[in-house]
Amino acid sequence: MPYERPKQRVLPPALQGMDDHERPTQNPPFDPQAFARANAFSRPPIAGLPSARQDEDLSGRDRDEMRREEITLTDEVELERARMASMTGRETFRSPSTTGALSMANAAARSAPEVDLNQVSYSERELAGGFGAPEITQRIIEDPAAEMHERFALGDYSGALELAEIVLSEDEKNLDAAECSETCRSVLENMYAARVGPLIGVPVVVVPNAQVRWLSMDHRAGFVLSLIDGTSSLETILDLCGMSRLDALHILHDLVQQKIVVVK
Amino acid sequence: MDKVIGIDLGTTNSCVAIVENGVPTVIPNRGGYKTTPSMVAVTEAGKRLVGHIAKRQAITNAENTVYAAKRLIGRKWDSPQVKNAIATSSYRIVRGPHADVRIVLRDKEYSVSEVSGMVLQEMKIIAEDYLGESVSKAVITVPAYFNDNQRQATKDAGEIAGLDVIRIINEPTAAALSYGFGKNVERTIAVYDFGGGTFDISILEIGSSGVFKVIATAGDTFLGGEDVDARVIDWLVKGFKDEHNIDLRQDRMALQRLKDAAEKAKCELSSVRETEVNLPFIISSGRNEALHLQRSLDRATLDDLSSDLIERTVDICRQTLSDARLRKEDIAEVLLVGGMTRMPKIQLAVAEFFEREPCKGVHPDESVALGAAIQGSALVDDKQEMVLLDVTPHALGIMTQGGYFEELIPQNTTVPTQRAKIFTTGRDNQTAVKIVVMQGENERAQHNELLGEFILKGLKRASKGSVEIEVTFEINADGIVSVHAKDLETEKEQSIEVTASSGLTREEISHMMEGARDYMVERRSTEEFEAARQEAERVSAEIERLFPQVEQIVASSDFGRDAIEKARGIVAKTRTAIARRDAAAVKAELDGLARTHRMFKGVVAKTH
Repeated sequence: MPYERPKQRVLPPALQGMDDHERPTQNPPFDPQAFARANAFSRPPIAGLPSARQDEDLSGRDRDEMRREEITLTDEVELERARMASMTGRETFRSPSTTGALSMANAAARSAPEVDLNQVSYSERELAGGFGAPEITQRIIEDPAAEMHERFALGDYSGALELAEIVLSEDEKNLDAAECSETCRSVLENMYAARVGPLIGVPVVVVPNAQVRWLSMDHRAGFVLSLIDGTSSLETILDLCGMSRLDALHILHDLVQQKIVVVK
Repeated sequence: MDKVIGIDLGTTNSCVAIVENGVPTVIPNRGGYKTTPSMVAVTEAGKRLVGHIAKRQAITNAENTVYAAKRLIGRKWDSPQVKNAIATSSYRIVRGPHADVRIVLRDKEYSVSEVSGMVLQEMKIIAEDYLGESVSKAVITVPAYFNDNQRQATKDAGEIAGLDVIRIINEPTAAALSYGFGKNVERTIAVYDFGGGTFDISILEIGSSGVFKVIATAGDTFLGGEDVDARVIDWLVKGFKDEHNIDLRQDRMALQRLKDAAEKAKCELSSVRETEVNLPFIISSGRNEALHLQRSLDRATLDDLSSDLIERTVDICRQTLSDARLRKEDIAEVLLVGGMTRMPKIQLAVAEFFEREPCKGVHPDESVALGAAIQGSALVDDKQEMVLLDVTPHALGIMTQGGYFEELIPQNTTVPTQRAKIFTTGRDNQTAVKIVVMQGENERAQHNELLGEFILKGLKRASKGSVEIEVTFEINADGIVSVHAKDLETEKEQSIEVTASSGLTREEISHMMEGARDYMVERRSTEEFEAARQEAERVSAEIERLFPQVEQIVASSDFGRDAIEKARGIVAKTRTAIARRDAAAVKAELDGLARTHRMFKGVVAKTH
């Protein structure tokens, strides 16, 4: 089906007349990824322009490979996405039959039949693709408890925590998983806290109010951002936000990384 | 002379004031706000939050945030107001061991006086921070309709907070004092008090002798500015639902932001005609994107949204005047009290009803605290004439046959006082009478507050009406009520002493006071550490900034290298002490840091 080209975007009045270099990054009113895919894979090649791979009949797996090559490993979020992407393709973990096996998606479905991505934890969502397109891995995990230990031993605390939560959703009295979950949370909390800075520091929003809406973030990050008033310390915001400490620290960390917030 | 603070312990906000050099002044809190939300919360980590910080998480941590504790203070478990509060509160309210009310926060039970004590302690801290010295004496205001138990519970709250409550005064009286009434003025005034959580209308008769008589008071303890906020929230939620088909109420974080924005918009519309509610990333669309809420609200819309609420206050005013058999012309002045009275529509409604422009000279949020401070100052300053006299807030009397209430000491009687009345038996051959002591103004005893009861036995057998019993009520200077009943023929007598009770025992109060002291010590030590840490971090950063320059300058000298090593050692020790949260160690390093900083600055200055 031919991809319909999006209409010319009209800038909001506040941004009209601004120099291109001054203008904040604005989300286009269409899905740029879909647009890019349509241009890259569906549309016929434009004559006279170099075309190396558009002509090729690429399978979904090849496209994944291509995307993986394009990932720039700049921070942990991307590293995490890269790790998930690399795991998705691993055939060695795939079980010949799904009977009796437990996938991450299935495990979540057992306790919550309809998984609403907006209700799951920040870290869960991050694992499932972060703020961007949510992707629930379909990789089959035979023994989540064993994999939890494996990931913990490898220092993959986000992954170990995710698996510990899956194990606990099946068996809330599993002491092993509870201990692992607690340790992972503690390690991750310390890691984010160390990156954000001393919790007695006061975060300040450095993006002008009028431009906040053009940023890329989810509503939970929007809520945390609304709590930053330039006088409350990070510790206070953690007390106020009503989220788990880990989720809140993760969001604060991302806001700092994205230079939306600086800690003074 | 001791400093006395005046505290307006409000349902939704509290305010503290003091008289300095003869000028009553409201004391701002650390955030610069002159009022502090009367809210207390306990976080998941067990940390206590009081004031603005508690309010900012009130919806996301609703089960563990107490608001409007004043509606419960001094009330009995089975009172209708408590039942109403149970039905409308997000926090858990349970029965206490003395048929009183307790509040559960994170599985721990607190008495209402204890929770109010936390708010009062915060007000005390605000005053102490401002004055730079310890404060122990306070005058606290309460609504005119509060009975003795509620007043005693407020006093207990003050005691738990470490305050010596030298006087409890009525809120409308305090407001009148702040407006300058009370000196050589005899008139009847109305105090229209529309606060965040309650509405009260009081009619006061000001006498030249310093007695403020509350001749009528009425109100609605569940009508306030928060209801107006709720209307604005409804309007925003509906608009958003119409646009996106998403109910913002389903998300606590969105609701918390809506609540804050609605209150802000309401306040702004008192001074501007239109305001913008802008809440970016308020909720997820469910399609992997966050939606924004952006709407304009104008004053006319706000007036429409709140018109029935305002009308309710006017109806209460009308009824109160009618009950007091007063005409609008009898009211010499109308005072506006409470944040909601800044709303132009309310000022207009009051002016229209009373057919006169209300007084707006004093800030409506601050007038009650200022009045309390004026009274507090007068109580400890011998040179000042006494502004107010202590009066009984409600009438005292006994229950008589048929369930009627017979008044012995009328409302607004100055204390100490003593009154006696003779009663007779109601049945033939009656050998005992039950004296039921009550407080209130209703002629039906069941509608008044029971204070205590006792039985006078051994009466002579006689026909009804022939045995005379003298009942004497006495209130001493401490407000303790004694009731004596005496058979005038046999001289047999029986008595009871009634002391107002908040529902707490002395032991409980002492235990809570200890808890409050511990909290204070911990808080002060944290603050001390914070102050030392900030100074140490500031100087350390300065020293680190100068390191490269100093190193370059003194590179060739052994002495200089030694000095740099020492400086590095001091900065490292400071950082370790900060990491250990060791206040004493951080403070110990401050001198060394300051010396090093001076030396480094000197070295750099000499070479430039």
